[in-house]
Amino acid sequence: MALRLRLSVTAHISVTNAPVRRSYNREERSEPPVKRNTIVIGITFLILATFAWAGWANWMYRKQAAERALASASHAELIPTAPGDVPAGGTSLTGKPAPNFTLEDLSGNKVSLSSYKGKPLLINFWATWCGPCKIETPWLVDLQKEYGPKGLQIIGISTEGDDLKPDDKEGWAHDKAAIAKFVKEEHMQYPVLVNGDSLATEYGGLDAMPTSVYVDKDGKVVAMQLGISSKDDMEAHIRKAMGEGQ
Amino acid sequence: MALERWGHPLLICVLIAGSTSAAISQQDPLAGLPRQAATKTQAVEYLYPEQVSVPAGKPAPVTLHFRIQQNLHINSHTPRAEYLIPTVFSVPETSGVKLANAVYPAGTDFTLPADPDQKLSVYTGEFAIQARLISSPGNHLVEAKLRYQACDQTQCLPPKTITVPIDVIGK
Repeated sequence: MALRLRLSVTAHISVTNAPVRRSYNREERSEPPVKRNTIVIGITFLILATFAWAGWANWMYRKQAAERALASASHAELIPTAPGDVPAGGTSLTGKPAPNFTLEDLSGNKVSLSSYKGKPLLINFWATWCGPCKIETPWLVDLQKEYGPKGLQIIGISTEGDDLKPDDKEGWAHDKAAIAKFVKEEHMQYPVLVNGDSLATEYGGLDAMPTSVYVDKDGKVVAMQLGISSKDDMEAHIRKAMGEGQ
Repeated sequence: MALERWGHPLLICVLIAGSTSAAISQQDPLAGLPRQAATKTQAVEYLYPEQVSVPAGKPAPVTLHFRIQQNLHINSHTPRAEYLIPTVFSVPETSGVKLANAVYPAGTDFTLPADPDQKLSVYTGEFAIQARLISSPGNHLVEAKLRYQACDQTQCLPPKTITVPIDVIGK
């Protein structure tokens, strides 16, 4: 029975295969070659387009992922440092002698740090475009009034960050006019010097404003503060520079 | 028969397409973009478009997208105080493309912890500038500029001008 069934199936297959093949051949012969070519070329282009699209989509996806990775790598967070901490990207000056400098004031007079030898100092790097500097300047004015009679000297150093060349007279004139306006508006009674940018290397980079450096009467840096904190914090650093409260 | 005749060329095409597609997808996606140093002063990044096609000789709107790094803000185009540096987009006059005008987004209010009473007008995160460009016919690689000044909650970075590269095709 099983043998008969197998023979039957074989016979059926052999019987059904032959007409199908013949039929197929008939269709093939009757189909115009141009139409067949068009279909094959169409399929080929479809496949090519699919691959091209897949490649492009993959590339775009990877590009966006790479951009996100790049943005993450170039993360520009400014981390407020605790007093005395190493400035971000710079060198801590705390415990070291304050680097000497000679800069001009708004009248063109040369002023050196060494001329303040023996005085506790607060060297405040600031800029006219800096909001936090604008906030803390009245605190500095008050602190100079309060601690000046006790020997403190605050020195403001404008650090505009515009990398002016020495012979750029128009640029310097513009800067000095903006600084003078700021000094007048804020009633800054302490010395204000210009071109703090030239001290960036010596003073830990000066990447951001404000930066305050507290120096004791021996010329040693006792604290360095990046960014604005509070008037109380500044006063505490001043007292440290003056040798009080230690 | 058709498969026998066309199978091999078709297979070759598929293989070529596949390898091309793989080659495209394996390329460095940032190979054509300017590499920006990962420094702490990189506050604003230009995102897109890299290329625009505009009708030549008449103002065409182009939306330029930027991203500000996390935890930073920049002054808006209209900061509330005179001493603050506004964000400004510009196009060099010699580029073959003129900036008819630029519409900036409104700033959002921001206060520094040290002075809660003073409201600043700033941009944070991503923002877009609607520029109207007038291009002469042809392809122009424009190095537009964006000037800004960035701060975080306690300190400020110096003002900076970055290049905004756009391939403008005037048709």
